[in-house]
Parts: sequence; structure tokens; C-alpha cells
Amino acid sequence: MKWKKLGKIFDPTEHKLPNDCEEFAQSPQALVFDDFVRIYFSTRQKDKNGKFLSHVAFVDFDKDFKNIQKISSQPVIDLGKLGCYDEHGIFPFNVVRNNDKILGYISGWTRRVSVSIETSIGVSVSSNNGNAFKRVGDGPILTSSLDEPFLVGDPFVAVFNGIYYMWYIYGTKWIQENEKDTPERIYKIGYATSKDGISWQKQNIKLIDNRLNANECQALPSVIYHQEKYHMMFCYREACDFRKNSRNAYRIGYAYSKDLINWVRDDENIGIELSKNDWDSEMMCYPQIFHCNDKVYLLYNGNKFGRYGFGLAVLEE
Amino acid sequence: MFKWKKLGRVFNPQDIKNVDWLNEFAQAPSVLIFDKFVRVYFSCRPRPDTNGQYVSYTGYVDLNRSNLFEIVNIAKQPILPLGGKGTFDEFGIYPTSVIRNDDEVLAYYAGWTRCESVPFNVAIGMAKSKNDGKTFEKPGSGPVLSYSLNEPFILSGPKIRKFNNQWYLYYIAGRKWIPNNGRPEPVYKIRMAISNDGINWTKKDRDLIESKVEADEAQASPDVFFYNNKYHMFFCYRYSLNFRGKEGGYRIGYASSDDLVNWERNDSKVGIDISDEGWDSEMIAYPHVFELDGKVYMFYLGNQVGRYGFGLAELEDYKQ
Repeated sequence: MKWKKLGKIFDPTEHKLPNDCEEFAQSPQALVFDDFVRIYFSTRQKDKNGKFLSHVAFVDFDKDFKNIQKISSQPVIDLGKLGCYDEHGIFPFNVVRNNDKILGYISGWTRRVSVSIETSIGVSVSSNNGNAFKRVGDGPILTSSLDEPFLVGDPFVAVFNGIYYMWYIYGTKWIQENEKDTPERIYKIGYATSKDGISWQKQNIKLIDNRLNANECQALPSVIYHQEKYHMMFCYREACDFRKNSRNAYRIGYAYSKDLINWVRDDENIGIELSKNDWDSEMMCYPQIFHCNDKVYLLYNGNKFGRYGFGLAVLEE
Repeated sequence: MFKWKKLGRVFNPQDIKNVDWLNEFAQAPSVLIFDKFVRVYFSCRPRPDTNGQYVSYTGYVDLNRSNLFEIVNIAKQPILPLGGKGTFDEFGIYPTSVIRNDDEVLAYYAGWTRCESVPFNVAIGMAKSKNDGKTFEKPGSGPVLSYSLNEPFILSGPKIRKFNNQWYLYYIAGRKWIPNNGRPEPVYKIRMAISNDGINWTKKDRDLIESKVEADEAQASPDVFFYNNKYHMFFCYRYSLNFRGKEGGYRIGYASSDDLVNWERNDSKVGIDISDEGWDSEMIAYPHVFELDGKVYMFYLGNQVGRYGFGLAELEDYKQ
């Protein structure tokens, strides 16, 4: 593959956002309409204790991605109720057209005591073209299980040949070199299938080979069908010292498949890399690939996990 | 109509000295019957940590089969260690329900973790024993029954049963957390799931037992047994708030069913209530009913939900 970078297209600090959110526009996810492209993202509010809450917002672009038509003025979806899996944040939020409705898959965050967080995946529905979403239920549709003990999150749903596929991530362990260190999490990409988008069957197979080492963290899978193959882009990083040390930070990875089951990891042919001095010079993360204007686009975050926005690239070859 | 005769307290954990993990509480009794003794599993707690917080372990006492008031053995260690960092059962294993399966003993238990906005969350795990229930091992580090659309948190109180080659799991699922001025209290209801292998479960996704004292009634310990051509469920229930004393505390309720799925509640048939005085004068909770040598018994907890152990009652009379 060969991508042409189109630069950063949205900076949250330059706009007024709902919920008094000021920074972060993470995990951009496109929904293409006839005359605009809506990009959902997760932005952050500080709660009364100074901790972050992630909220979903969107920005509507012209289809050439040069002009902003509108930014959501209301919350797209409320956070979950007291004690629910999505009480402290929704990040990412994955949207999929489904007949005359739009499904919104929630990666919900809740705070824990011995480790910082736990996540699960829920579902919501919009009947007004994706302006607002309502939960189908208070609980999740995909969560911890015998062999995926925690941190089920990062859903990406697509329908191929009448079957709903969800790629997601699940935690394998929390690691701590010393008792005083903050525990860090390891997670891998998994997938589940469904007939209705609500009730899912986990497939429980190891999907994507590690490139770095056994503790590689793999996140945010995104899949499209293009030129007779399925293509997955995701991000990966080292388990520790990944926030400030660019060498350990997120990069975008790539795999392809002919059958949606067996994936060949092929990062060498990804065709996009860190810039030298720009907004994406230290890390690239949270990719989403999508079709628009008969082209294939890639949305992604750069330095500081998207604190200052997201950018776009277009597939050239 | 049942009529139970109370036989008294069988086990008080405070009589046991110098066992760190078994300092107080003996909650949610569940039996495994052997030729010469009856093993009673229960959950207990070491002293609380410096923040006043508890963890729970499951252990057991073995009672002489011909005299259930004679303790012949006490577990040397908890049957299962707590879960690893970040897992669902890192801070407690309570309650536990056991069942024989060929040469193995299976334990289904509720695993506890601690949360920030609410004090805890709970999911149901499973473990297997190959040494007659002395110690157990988990097949995986995650739960076998976790949260879902209409069961958003607190999956707890499992009771494992096998009827007609089908596995049944009766349990409770959280419905809501009442904010209660910064000290949230959960509401939970009795539910069930069915399985062919004991690992993969299909939830019925509905409440089994009508609420009685209030809409937010909390229900627990759905203990099902088959007797005289009918399925019987003894469970406990309480008010959602101010339940730690006599007024709002746990009582034992009763329901019956012909098909294990549709249950008719009729607490007037339960035939057991709190005592005028003594260890079970404020509440009775966590019933477990079993047949032994031609008699039917109930283990249950008394005041402070088993802080001072469990007692025994014997069925004196039953009329449909």
C-alpha cells in the first residue's frame, strides 16, 4: 500500500465542544452521507476530582474534508448509569448503518481500585441519522469471559455476506514490575460474529501475530474489503513506557485476509509512517479505514493519543 | 406448607482461633455429602485491612453424617486462591455452590472486585476439584457468567444444579444502584441460566421471583431442590436500604415450580422465621436445603448475615 498524508484536519482546541470538553479528539470514525462525512470522536471532560470522562461528539465535513459544516452541540450519547460498564467514558464509539437505523457500539469505561479501569462493549441505536443514540440496555453485549478475563473494548463492526463481524480487543494480563509501579495492561485483537448485531458469539482464536514481543499491545482494529481482500489496520505498542517514549509508542499495523479468519500480518507493506517534525512525529494510533468518493481513506490520531486532534490520509496505491 | 424445626447453630467461626483466613463470618453454606461426613462449604473473612475492607475466602467444615453438630474436620486452607491483578475475583470468593460431576467436584462461585463509584462488582466463576473438593483449580482466569444487556452488574449468589442431564444455574443479577447519599446500595433479582456443558450458559433473561416487600426488594440465595414431585426454591429477601438490622433485614422466602423456569412465590408456606432471641433473632438468610438419610434439612445464616455462623433446621412436616 501507499498512503498520501493529507495532514491534521481537526483540532479540538479550536472549537467549542459539548460537555465543556476542551481537548482530545480520539479514535475518529467516519459515517459517510450523500453530501457530508460525519466523523465521531471521543473527547474529554474533567470531573470534579480532576479525572477524565470521555464523551462522544462529531464533526461534519464537506466530502473533500476541507470545510467543517457542523460540530455536535449536544452530547451524542449520555454516559452510563451509576455502577454500569460505561459510567466513566465512551471511547471509542463505532457507528454502523443497519437498514434505516444506525448502530453505535460503545467501548465503555469504568474505574476500578486495584487497576485503573475496566472496559466492556455495549450497543446503542440512532433513529435520527446519528445525531443522538439511545442504549439498547444498561449492560454490555460483549464482556469478560473465561479466556478473555477483562478489558473487552475497541469494537469495530462490519457486515460481510449478511454476517455481522466484530473485531475488538481483550486484556490478557495486568503487569507490574514492582509493587509500587502503576499496573499496565496487555491486550490483543479478537473477533466475534452475530446474526443481528446484538447477540454475539466470541470466536476465541488468536488473530494477529505479535511483531514486537509477547507483551505487545494491539488496539483498535478497523477492517475493509478492497480489491478482493480484507484489510485490517490497527495500532500496537510496547506494554510499558509508551506515553512519553516515542520508541515504545503506538504505530499503525496492518494485516490482510481472504477469509476473515486467517490474517497475515504485513506491517512492511503498510505504506505510512511517522512524520519527521509534524503532529504525528511521535506516535500514530486509533486508525479507521473507510470508503468515500470511490477512494479509501485513513483517519488516525497522532502525538499524545489525539489530544490535539486527528488527521487523514488517502490511499494512492 | 413446610414446617421447620430449628435445631440450633452448627458452626460459629469465632470459635476457631488462630486461623487468619477464617477469622469471622461463615456465609452461604453449601453441602457435599460423603459416606461418613457432610462437607459444608462456606465463605469467611480474615480481619479487615487498614482501610476496613474485607476479602472473602471459601473453606469448609466436615460434619459427622450421623450427628451434624459434631465437627470432624476443618479445611486447612481456602479451597481456591483469590484471582490475579485486575481479574473479577481479586477481592473475594463468596458465595460458592458445589456439585459432583463424575470424578470431579465443580464449584461455581461469585468473584468480587472493587470499583470507584460503587464499592464492588461481582461475576460468576467456576473451578474444578480432583481431590474430593479439598482444593479447586480454575479452567481460565475470567468468569463463566458475566454481564449482559439486561444484567448490567453484580452477577452473584450462584446455585448450581443438574436435573434430567441439564445444567441449571440460579443466581442473582444487579438491577440498579441506589445512590443513597454517596453510599450506594445495589438492588438484585433472582435469575437463571441453562447449559449443556456447565461452561457455556444461556441466560433466561428474566426475573424469576416476584418482588414482595418493595419494588427494589433485594433477593438472594435461590436454592432449588426437587422433593415430592415438585421443584422448590428457598431464597432470602430484604429491603434495599436500612437492611442491616431486624426491621429491613433478610427473611427466607419460598416459591415452587413444575418446570424449573416458571415460579410461583408463596412465602406463607415457608415455615421458618426469625427467633425471639439468640443468634437468628434479627434475620435469617442464605438457605440451603438438602436431603440426607431420609430427612430434609436446611442450613441458614442468622444475624449479620453469617458473622456468627450458620445453623440447621429439620423439616418436620410438609403438605403440598
